[in-house]
Amino acid sequence: MADIFDAYRPARAWDEMFAAPGVPRTPYLAVFAALQRLGANDLRYRADQVARLFTDRGVTFAFAGDEQPFPLDQIPRVLAAQEWDEVTRGVAQRIRALEAFLADVYGRGRVLEDGVVPRALVLSSPHFHRAAAGIEPPGGVRVHVGGIDLVRDEEGRFRVLEDNVRIPSGVSYVIENRRAGTRLFPGIFAEHRVRAVDAYPARLLASLRATAPEGVADPTAVVLTPGRYNAAYFEHTLLARLMGIPLVEGRDLECHRNHVYMRTTRGRRPVHVIYRRVDDDFLDPLHFRGDSLLGTPGLLNAARAGNVTLANAVGNGVADDKLLYTYVPDLIRYYLAEEPALDNVETYRLDSPDRVAWVLEHAHELVLKPVDGSGGKGIVIGPHAEEAELAVLRAAVAADPRGWIAQRPVALSTAPTLIGDRLEPRHVDLRPFAINDGTDIWLLPGGLTRVALPEGQLVVNSSQGGGSKDTWVLADGSRDGTGARKLVAVAAMPQSRDQQPSPFGDESAAGAAQQMQQ
Amino acid sequence: MTSTATGWRLGIRHVTEVAYTGSARSSFNEVRMAPLTLPTQTALESRVEISPPAHAWTYWDYWGTQVVAVDIPEPHERLRLTARATVETSPAPPLPAAPSWEVLRDTAARGPESEYSAATELTRVDEAVAAEARRLAGGLGPHEAAAAIAAWVHGQVAYVPGSTGVGTGAQQAYDQREGVCQDIAQLTVAMLRSAGLPARYVSGYFHPVPEAEPGETVAGQSHAWVEYRAGAWVALDPTNMVEVGVRHVVVGRGRDYADVPPFKGVYQGPPGEPPRVVVELTRLA
Amino acid sequence: MRDDAWDGYGYGHGGRPSDIPLPARPEPGAGSEPPGARRPDAPPSLLSRVAESLFWMGRYVERADDTARLLDAFVHRMVEDPWTDEPAACRSLLGVLGLSDAPPGPTAPFGPPLDTQATIRRIAFDEDSPSSITGALLLARENARGVREVVSSEIWECLNVTRHGLAASRRSAEQLGPAAFLTHVRERAALFSGLADATLSRDEGWRFLVLGRSLERADMTARLLSVFLTGDGPMPDRTTLLRAAGAEESFLRTYGGAAGTDRAVEFLLLDRLFPRSVLHALSTAEECLLALGPAAAERTGVADEARRPVGRLRTRLEYADVSAFARELPTLLGDLGAACAQATDAVARRFFPDAPLARWEGR
Repeated sequence: MADIFDAYRPARAWDEMFAAPGVPRTPYLAVFAALQRLGANDLRYRADQVARLFTDRGVTFAFAGDEQPFPLDQIPRVLAAQEWDEVTRGVAQRIRALEAFLADVYGRGRVLEDGVVPRALVLSSPHFHRAAAGIEPPGGVRVHVGGIDLVRDEEGRFRVLEDNVRIPSGVSYVIENRRAGTRLFPGIFAEHRVRAVDAYPARLLASLRATAPEGVADPTAVVLTPGRYNAAYFEHTLLARLMGIPLVEGRDLECHRNHVYMRTTRGRRPVHVIYRRVDDDFLDPLHFRGDSLLGTPGLLNAARAGNVTLANAVGNGVADDKLLYTYVPDLIRYYLAEEPALDNVETYRLDSPDRVAWVLEHAHELVLKPVDGSGGKGIVIGPHAEEAELAVLRAAVAADPRGWIAQRPVALSTAPTLIGDRLEPRHVDLRPFAINDGTDIWLLPGGLTRVALPEGQLVVNSSQGGGSKDTWVLADGSRDGTGARKLVAVAAMPQSRDQQPSPFGDESAAGAAQQMQQ
Repeated sequence: MTSTATGWRLGIRHVTEVAYTGSARSSFNEVRMAPLTLPTQTALESRVEISPPAHAWTYWDYWGTQVVAVDIPEPHERLRLTARATVETSPAPPLPAAPSWEVLRDTAARGPESEYSAATELTRVDEAVAAEARRLAGGLGPHEAAAAIAAWVHGQVAYVPGSTGVGTGAQQAYDQREGVCQDIAQLTVAMLRSAGLPARYVSGYFHPVPEAEPGETVAGQSHAWVEYRAGAWVALDPTNMVEVGVRHVVVGRGRDYADVPPFKGVYQGPPGEPPRVVVELTRLA
Repeated sequence: MRDDAWDGYGYGHGGRPSDIPLPARPEPGAGSEPPGARRPDAPPSLLSRVAESLFWMGRYVERADDTARLLDAFVHRMVEDPWTDEPAACRSLLGVLGLSDAPPGPTAPFGPPLDTQATIRRIAFDEDSPSSITGALLLARENARGVREVVSSEIWECLNVTRHGLAASRRSAEQLGPAAFLTHVRERAALFSGLADATLSRDEGWRFLVLGRSLERADMTARLLSVFLTGDGPMPDRTTLLRAAGAEESFLRTYGGAAGTDRAVEFLLLDRLFPRSVLHALSTAEECLLALGPAAAERTGVADEARRPVGRLRTRLEYADVSAFARELPTLLGDLGAACAQATDAVARRFFPDAPLARWEGR
């Protein structure tokens, strides 16, 4: 029987779903079986439904000045339990090392004295905020939330592409994708043991409360947003709502005697923990950009005085500098005395004239990334670049070698994605989200799988025309993905319902009951 | 030892007054006016008085400067800060033995001094100025080179009060050949770095009278000079071209002015007039 | 719609002079609670900014709803009574809705003639005016967007879906006339109210929403009566008036078909049971303010600033001499509008004070 997978031809990369054309990998067996029953029209129709659902719910991101629904591809990405264990170990290890590094560079600077990381690298990082030196965050936590971007190479091995320990975003899409997914495929979820993602807000809130300033019995936590024009505003509102805590803007807060308050209709109320989604530079006009209206003056000193917790801490950007990325494996060995569980993508530092010359010469074979770029901005994929683009790139790199790293191009793994009404391979990455509460690092099962929708594109980002996939982590004991879940029968409900006495007989009463269910 | 004189004891009174054209509120400020305690200097006392009365809180920042953070939520028409300090200073220490240029360049690149080796926004100069610095240093030892650069800047940039602002960079000061001590110090710092010497900007006070009588109060001002690293940190005053000794009081040291501003802050309200500043220095002993 | 996110006051301030809040002034009573104290019995706190948005969300939805009814009735009247001085009637309507001085021309002797179609376009579809239906709905949605985490998802979705449907509604209105659009607006407003009723806790936020709605309703009814009773044209028939206020059926059930226009005016102003009457709206607003007000010990304080004009008007209506109404009506309607404006100002001063200014001054 012809099905939607018949025409699917994996690209020259590791395919997430198919080991060979028509041969799905084990974790995908059930998904494959379920999707086979659907036609392309069904998929298209469902995709439109999702887009509409997202627009109505406001699951959007700002793109070219307008609100676009975040494109969700409905073919899920499925990870086996043991694959996820490996990711969890590697990500948690990385977060621990980065925490240790941050505590060190904003404290004694042992790692610099020992020469493990060149002092100049840290001192020249625009995100090394000297104003944050000496601040000791409660519980020693600076990375309350970390997002470590992973890709799979040609052999199917996960590698770390970059670390995000400032304000990693995207978790709302994980939550919303799952909501949409369970609506689209109720049957599959009933049959699968897919690990839930809805514990995230509770975990985050627990971490925020656990890292509140000492001596505060019942801390008040808030989410600080730059406001409704921020691209991730939807996420800020979702998290605040799901955590049940206020969503504040900078103008809602005020500092007084190194304590932070929010302005309410009944006067000031103390605030102890701020999950802030405002960048360092805009957070406190006293210490950073004086023209910022997104922040609140005095926040940094309130944190310094130990009266408020900023999550994530100020100055974390020095740890997700892409040049520092090249040292993270060394940091893992240095601080943890462990071998890295996840490798980096092969990366070249431009730290000597010889190396710079070599990279310039081989620019057409390499991926060049600005160390300070985010959202895929400024990345040049050498093999895909025009000669003119390469010339511009060479000049930029030669002018500022500290501003760049070079990487071997990795053919990111692909996954079947609905394009028009066909399934085609598209490159994907994975951003797991980790929450650190000071004693434990917890990973949201799955994380955000982002898809590069244009064919062959290797930069995967929503601001670059990307979409996403619901990401399933199969629970232990359902390795093949076919283990049927036992459904507990719902207790029988009484047959008759309370209803309004009707002078017109049963027919009308039934109509009324129906109305109420709409 | 260039002087046999013993140290001075100095009293400092530094008054900053801001009048607003209307009412200001939610005012957040940081004051960096307290003398440091160093091998060459001992701070005996320092305090800040604020009017209207306000909460003040002290911390030491990344640069080792004592910071008094002040916030005033209530509406106010004027703000008056009075910083008082008593400090003992000492004559300039002898010059340390300078390491070779190679050793200096290596520590500048890798050591803790590398913080003071790279250009910052306020100490960025063009290639012509950098080349001039290297030319001045050519063939000289580090101390002689530093002295030559300081003298050259002193000769190039005229001291003209009001000719620049707090945001003026070294290059601009050079281009207009005018500036105040802050500009002269920043240009000197920039050129010392270009020549291969780690260099830092020093914020503090300067007593203008060389042989002041104890008990006499004179008008002074906030001052800025430089230190470069050659074996140890060595101070130079390119504005006055005098030895940095008993008459200099160190408050803070950083890469440029922005790391050690005596007074900065934000508030809500109408733009303020430029602060009125009075500094009084008294040699006490 | 404005694009500057950081204007210090956010959205929510309608274009009518009476709606613009006074600049935030420091106020001795507000924010003077000792720092650090969180009374265990304190109610969950509501951010001032959020309260402000809820207040205006309530006002804008009500405004869209009432304006739709008013426009619907006006269009009927124009169709049914071809002898009406059309430009004068249009001018009068635009004036009462606060839309008079936007684009140049209509009243100038050489400007384009002000016809019913142009008037409909302005009142229904002007995106830039907070007094038009479309403008009010956009602002209601912007306010909801800024407080999305405190309103229920249903309420946000209701306003968001309404916004996304506006373009299509407009296109169909251009082809089929405004009736379907106006019905649609009333249905969305009804859905909003129903969802608010069904999904929001009766907490402080709810009271701000209802307070805004009630003040707007009283204000709009006053404006409605101004259009029909104090204009140059002849006294409208009872049906038009009642329909414009969404009161026709209730009125008929109460008084039967024989009652006249005077009775209808009385009904719209004074009825204690009909939820769209001015008296009912003012009583509701007063109840909200009482519930939001300070503790008993502070009763002579600032809260009265908001309640006083509302309470005064409410009392005046309650004890009004119905026979003298016709004479007093113009003054009364003017006082009503003023009372709503005063209450709005006072609410802003008391509950949304001290909003930071547009920028931080550095030194």
